[in-house]
Amino acid sequence: MTDNLVEVGDLVKHFPITRGVVFQRRIGAVRAVDGVSFDVRRGETLGIVGESGCGKSTTARLMLALLEPTSGTIAFEGEDLRARKGERLKALRRDMQMIFQDPYSSLNPRKTVGSIIGEPFAVHGLHKGEGARRRAVAELMERVGLSPEHYNRHPHEFSGGQRQRIGVARALALEPKLIVADEPVSALDVSIQAQILNLLRQLQRELGLTLVLIAHDLAVVRHMCDRVAVMHLGKIVELADADELYRHPRHPYTRALLAAVPGAAAYSSSPSTSSSSSSSSS
Amino acid sequence: MSGKRTILEIEDLRVGFRTQDGLVQAVRGASLEVAAGGALGIVGESGSGKSVAMLTVLGLTRGPTAEIAGEIRFEGRDLVGARESELRAVRGGRIAMIFQDPQSSMHPFYRVGRQLVEALKAHQTMTRTAARERAVELLALVGIPEPRRRVDAYPHEYSGGMRQRAMIAMALANDPELLIADEPTTALDVTVQAQILDLLARLREELGMALVLLTHDLGVVAQVTDDIAVMYAGEVVERGSREAILNAPEHPYTWGLLRSIPRLDRPRREELVPIAGSPPSLLAPPSGCAFHPRCPYVREAHRRVHPQLDPAPGPVVHDVRCLLPAATRRRLWRELAAPAEGGAR
Repeated sequence: MTDNLVEVGDLVKHFPITRGVVFQRRIGAVRAVDGVSFDVRRGETLGIVGESGCGKSTTARLMLALLEPTSGTIAFEGEDLRARKGERLKALRRDMQMIFQDPYSSLNPRKTVGSIIGEPFAVHGLHKGEGARRRAVAELMERVGLSPEHYNRHPHEFSGGQRQRIGVARALALEPKLIVADEPVSALDVSIQAQILNLLRQLQRELGLTLVLIAHDLAVVRHMCDRVAVMHLGKIVELADADELYRHPRHPYTRALLAAVPGAAAYSSSPSTSSSSSSSSS
Repeated sequence: MSGKRTILEIEDLRVGFRTQDGLVQAVRGASLEVAAGGALGIVGESGSGKSVAMLTVLGLTRGPTAEIAGEIRFEGRDLVGARESELRAVRGGRIAMIFQDPQSSMHPFYRVGRQLVEALKAHQTMTRTAARERAVELLALVGIPEPRRRVDAYPHEYSGGMRQRAMIAMALANDPELLIADEPTTALDVTVQAQILDLLARLREELGMALVLLTHDLGVVAQVTDDIAVMYAGEVVERGSREAILNAPEHPYTWGLLRSIPRLDRPRREELVPIAGSPPSLLAPPSGCAFHPRCPYVREAHRRVHPQLDPAPGPVVHDVRCLLPAATRRRLWRELAAPAEGGAR
């Protein structure tokens, strides 16, 4: 019971579709999230996979109280999100952070890296004074593999992978309990993706973070997550331990998704994969 | 590379762009071959030069700031020195290209059918009705349901997958012998991606056209191509049959790529081995071997000597641009691949 950090119950988010400019009439609703229930256990990595429009990002935004749900409940450490207002909500926001997909558009190009990473301190009144703040930021930069000497550089002076590290450092600044990463590597070059995935795993080990990873790449999710939820048309169609889900997918949609991964068949059926293994094993 | 007639041959292609900061050497001596009816996958990260090389085939990189040297022969005819009018006949006619983002490759104001008709009439003399009939046929060929109705729809009325199908239909309009697909499925969902890849494979079979597929996704090339070329910093660093590249790669960069992506056919929590550093700047490419700043097996000489694309010893066609001795490369890859294979059980 208490090992659940987040409990989501029958969560619904409908976006109204309106017609007319001055007198907007509601003519329907997009059921982005349509009755979703799941728990996030403390310290685990939960994956949410699905195709675009399945509601995975909306679910993430609801979890972080960035959107108001149409109905349903979200409890963080046993307390309903909607019951929190003002200072209490602000305190909650310290505990949950987000890492965004696009490291190019999620960093303010006019600010230095130091002030981007240190911004959460200013917002929450932590590490007051220039010296203290600088020290805290330098520590964060080191933690995510950035050189603290780059404190005064601007985002455009960094590569995509480094920018994503800046995003990770900013998310870590307030020592959150929960990090939601929405497609954290899909905008990065292949050779850089592993750097960020390894960084997230290392940070999780070191800091005991709880991670919710939203992605469309089934191989990435399998690699990172303990449990995986598959979303389709606003609903969770299957939620299982990662091993179980990938070995014995129950729902036809999960099977279709797994079958669609390119190259899965080509790799496994290619003769030399087995021949090279036979040379090492026998 | 499979004994068949070669239709596209690129030799020592160099493409640079003059900028305020200096010359960006986007392609630095790339050599590639495509067999008639064959499928070549070019794998590389952004900035590897794969797109620039293929755009240059179609003469689309020409401009006042571009410096192009080397040879591109399509069916024996030189395209680097070709006149613009000659190129126009080839482009969209005998060689067609599709792009990553089907959203921005179509004109939003015109109906899909009209855009197809335009592509047809650019290369063939035919009446409007005949062209329209052919447009419907093409949409049916690429698997668009109810093509007769859909031909009058606007691009925004199509889904992402359908738009990419329509783009492919447009590319096929003049029965090209070669289709260049630049990251054709990157913007699409997995299930749609699988459909488009199936479609490309089917069309290649049915129409006997050659395919060049540019991608950063090794899974995609594994599924649809016969040969693979790996590009890095404007050079081809390794090329050979699909089996050779995926199962017996000899270049450290290819190893890095293969080991840094999570794969569904590998043990779940297998450690990913990222490639250190980031891709080099093409304003000042590294001396010696272009990969040396990121290579874990770098030796002193590799910083000075520039490796050639040499055949790897063995029965299969497989070229590698690496200064390590072949025996060392093979031992290293065996060592890298072994524990993973053992753990798969």
